[in-house]
Amino acid sequence: MIIGELWRLTPGGEQETLHTSKFQIVTNNPMVAEALGERCHIVFLEHGSDRDVIETVRDLVHRHHRVLTAPLAGSVKPWETPYRSVMVSVSKGTAIDATSLELVEFALMVIGQSRERLETTKPSIDRDFQTVDLSLIESALPSVEAIGRI
Amino acid sequence: MKLEVGYIDIKGIRFGDYNAVEDGILIVNPEPLLEPVLEDPLIKSAHFEIATPGESIRITPVKDVIEPRVKVEGGGGVFPGMVSKVDTVGSGKTHVLRGMAVVTAGPIVGFQEGIIDMTGIGADYTPFSKLHNLVLVMEPVEDFKQHEYEAAARLAGLRTAAAIGELARELVPDETVVYETPTIAETFKEEWKDLPRVGYVMMLQSQGLLHDTYVYGVDAKRTLSTLISATEVMDGAIVSGNCVSACDKNTTYHHQNNPVIHDLLAVHGKKINFVGTIITNENVYLDDKIRSSDWTSKMARYLSLDAAIITQEGFGNPDTDLIMNCTKLEKQGIKTVIITDEYAGQDGKSQSLADADELANAVVTGGNANEVVVLPPLDRVIGTLDYVDTVAGGHAGSLRPDGSIEAELQIITGSTNEMGFNRMSAR
Repeated sequence: MIIGELWRLTPGGEQETLHTSKFQIVTNNPMVAEALGERCHIVFLEHGSDRDVIETVRDLVHRHHRVLTAPLAGSVKPWETPYRSVMVSVSKGTAIDATSLELVEFALMVIGQSRERLETTKPSIDRDFQTVDLSLIESALPSVEAIGRI
Repeated sequence: MKLEVGYIDIKGIRFGDYNAVEDGILIVNPEPLLEPVLEDPLIKSAHFEIATPGESIRITPVKDVIEPRVKVEGGGGVFPGMVSKVDTVGSGKTHVLRGMAVVTAGPIVGFQEGIIDMTGIGADYTPFSKLHNLVLVMEPVEDFKQHEYEAAARLAGLRTAAAIGELARELVPDETVVYETPTIAETFKEEWKDLPRVGYVMMLQSQGLLHDTYVYGVDAKRTLSTLISATEVMDGAIVSGNCVSACDKNTTYHHQNNPVIHDLLAVHGKKINFVGTIITNENVYLDDKIRSSDWTSKMARYLSLDAAIITQEGFGNPDTDLIMNCTKLEKQGIKTVIITDEYAGQDGKSQSLADADELANAVVTGGNANEVVVLPPLDRVIGTLDYVDTVAGGHAGSLRPDGSIEAELQIITGSTNEMGFNRMSAR
């Protein structure tokens, strides 16, 4: 499911831009989709895994978008939190951005390692994981919004 | 900058009806110390407990560990910009209550973590088991916002530590050590010209809620890399706002007693020329990472460094900052040693870091945070065991019926610290 589109056609057949932000967020975190959906385009992978998020980001990188935030979580380890949000440029370059590709491939490797680990998630703390993931991506907003182009 | 640090050794803590330090014993009257803590509308309850080395006590979940200090002479007060007004610290005289700490404990988020065992195998993994701990256990009001409560709990701990530190103002220290950092001009003096010019790059966790560090009250994610004197750090210019990743978070105590700073100062002018300390952040936004590591390498070059030690906080996303800092210095001919920890899987066979580069060829490890440890049941719990199953390193079933805990080392506060302030080593 995708919440938010970059543009839609009006009943008169004209293209109406819904988001003018220079960035979009790929996420499986409903709290991010809800909190930031008005601010930017959200690629929301409802019930998707952290791997689904990173793989979706990788697909965008292959389509010449740039990764804007580090795809791994902070000190919350990949095997603890089910949520992941990554900011990606709306604009495309003329070729694959090598740094972006390297980052997502490395993130996939780290997540791959974590698959063997024991499940630590409890439903009761789900909302806290969502909150911290939202906070992580929100911490990048002043930086991304401070510049006119990406 | 020149700072005289007077250490007053604390040999015990007990409750009493007044607050004082007498013959190395801290006497605590809770009421006046808790009054300002409870004034915060977000803190529903707060009380003190005492944990002595060797006692059968488990403290969890630990938020921060703070050493009480007081500025006796010189500008500013401890924790400037947080507790004291913004003013440059790091000069004059500071008294330290050595051998004790204020530990803040209590729930903030459901996967919060941090265990300090005062005895048993768990105690061997944390340096804080060797301290007399005054534990400030706090509970939030219902429906709190985590980031607001984190700030309330952080300030409560710092204010309490400052109030306890104040008790040492008039005391005669058991030991006095003078720490002095040179100006740039002094580092070029003739007698040091053959010594390698060494700098310290201190990376500060700065990734949002529960991941933040403050410098003179400024959220580190909102700064560019900059210079700080080692003695400013000793006076509490850097404080922790980090609640996650117990094993490798740099608590405020770690900053106050940063072992890299102390070891570099100890050999300064003898084996090396300790030119200065660069602080840099660990932001989420990639351009911030690039900008901050660029800035770090520019300053390292500006200081004409031959070598640098780089320390980290956290895992995953910050590994990218670590490798950027390392490689950018190395490419300028500045040799680096990085201090980090490893997440190499329970068998130790997986790749240790979430980023890597062949230029990062001198690494000191704080240990493998995935190593499994079984902590025996202890008689008394300060705080709550409610979170043990969900904290980093714990898992469903971590807390066994008999009260023992099977978990990874990362559950233990300070076990794999990336400043090297820990018990594990390979020599």
